[in-house]
Amino acid sequence: MKVNEVPQDDITYYEGKKRACYAINDKGKYVIVTSTGWNAEEVFNGLAVAELAANLEETRKAVLKGLKSPLAYHMERRQLIPTILAKTAGIATFRVKRHLRPGIFNKLKPSVLERYAQALAVSMEELKTVPK
Amino acid sequence: MNTEIAAGGRPFVHEHSAHCESGVTSALFRDKGLEISEPMIFGIGSGIFFGHLPFIKMVGLPISTFRSQPGSVFRKAAKRIGGKFVTKRFRNPQKGMDELKRVLKSGQIVGLTTNIYWLSYFPNRFRFQFNGHNIIALRETETGFRVSDPILEYPVDCLTDDMERARFAHGPLQPHGFMYYPESIQPNPDLRTACVKGIKDTCNMMLKIPLPIFGIRGMRFLAKRIIKSQDKLGFNEACRQLGNIVRMQEEVGTGGAGFRFMYAAFLQETAELFGSEDLARLSQEMTAIGDVWREFAVVSARIIKQRGKAEDNFSKAGGLMLICADREEALFRELHIIVRKLKA
Repeated sequence: MKVNEVPQDDITYYEGKKRACYAINDKGKYVIVTSTGWNAEEVFNGLAVAELAANLEETRKAVLKGLKSPLAYHMERRQLIPTILAKTAGIATFRVKRHLRPGIFNKLKPSVLERYAQALAVSMEELKTVPK
Repeated sequence: MNTEIAAGGRPFVHEHSAHCESGVTSALFRDKGLEISEPMIFGIGSGIFFGHLPFIKMVGLPISTFRSQPGSVFRKAAKRIGGKFVTKRFRNPQKGMDELKRVLKSGQIVGLTTNIYWLSYFPNRFRFQFNGHNIIALRETETGFRVSDPILEYPVDCLTDDMERARFAHGPLQPHGFMYYPESIQPNPDLRTACVKGIKDTCNMMLKIPLPIFGIRGMRFLAKRIIKSQDKLGFNEACRQLGNIVRMQEEVGTGGAGFRFMYAAFLQETAELFGSEDLARLSQEMTAIGDVWREFAVVSARIIKQRGKAEDNFSKAGGLMLICADREEALFRELHIIVRKLKA
């Protein structure tokens, strides 16, 4: 890749930041060139982000229908799964899975909720609800 | 290039890098007085690799890697360049944070392995649950820490809470608060021997691992899967899997094409070090191979967007990867021969 081939596609989600790439200058030497992003890269990032968002939306709707607890939503929002959330919150995995059921979640003690809130970096109020 | 005051009041020059681990390792060496570039660290640390692990899944998709195991570049480069290194892991996050603060106060900057999701100084779409991101803590600040993150252009501020979550996140390859720094570096290290060792190790990894999922065999294994993927999995699922492969290539770490160019830069530096025209020629070939990997990414993007012509299909994408496999195999075989003739 030559210096003038380094993509400068001004990718929005870079939020003004730039990446460093190795490219060949006109003397045939490798130099570092900053890049504002590549359209092709955006396709793949976009795919992954869209899939996460779509799955999260499914979960949000399931919570509003009373099929899953808000914990399921916030766990997914942080891209976590029960085993990892379990270790982070210091709560056994089988219990975390139980707490994904709305009936069980609604009866949880504040001390347990506090552990989840801390693990998921959300407030207690946020933890108990999902966006409408 | 920008200079900051770091631990112990000493100046630190932040260098924008393509790969977090190589960038951190080279910065730690430079801090101790050894002028060494990121590509040299990458090559000496045998960072270039390929693997496709169909049985390990993140978000339900198999993992492809274009570089060696996270942590090994630092470990191998440190061993081959020589010196005394401190590495620590912690069970207790509080102890991990206290130790970080103690070392910073003592005037030493610290390399850290973190989970990139929890580093809120990154743009949102960079934040995925990935446990192999390396950064340097420069000093403590009022709200947390001043951090040199090699993949960003300038140092940033990182909140204490972010730092603790990122260092002690759980999940695959969890960091356990891993911190690392050199206590001392060998004065006048033998870089030529280090390069030779690094190259031999890389050639072995790419050519000789007797499993079909690693090295050149791994590329062919994956390429054939891609070619058959639409028939086997249907268009949507085949796209998902292809998308993930190219994401691993272009985004995570720095990407397969990025790693190939960085290795070409390493070969170019090594060619100068040894005065070897053979190495210079292989550097050019590696650059050309990197361009084929980028072509693979472009074709894959067209498939996914369905904007290409009929010939932009999975067969073509897989075919490009097979070309990469053939050319990388020829390159590493030749490199393996050349390296044994080099006078260290």
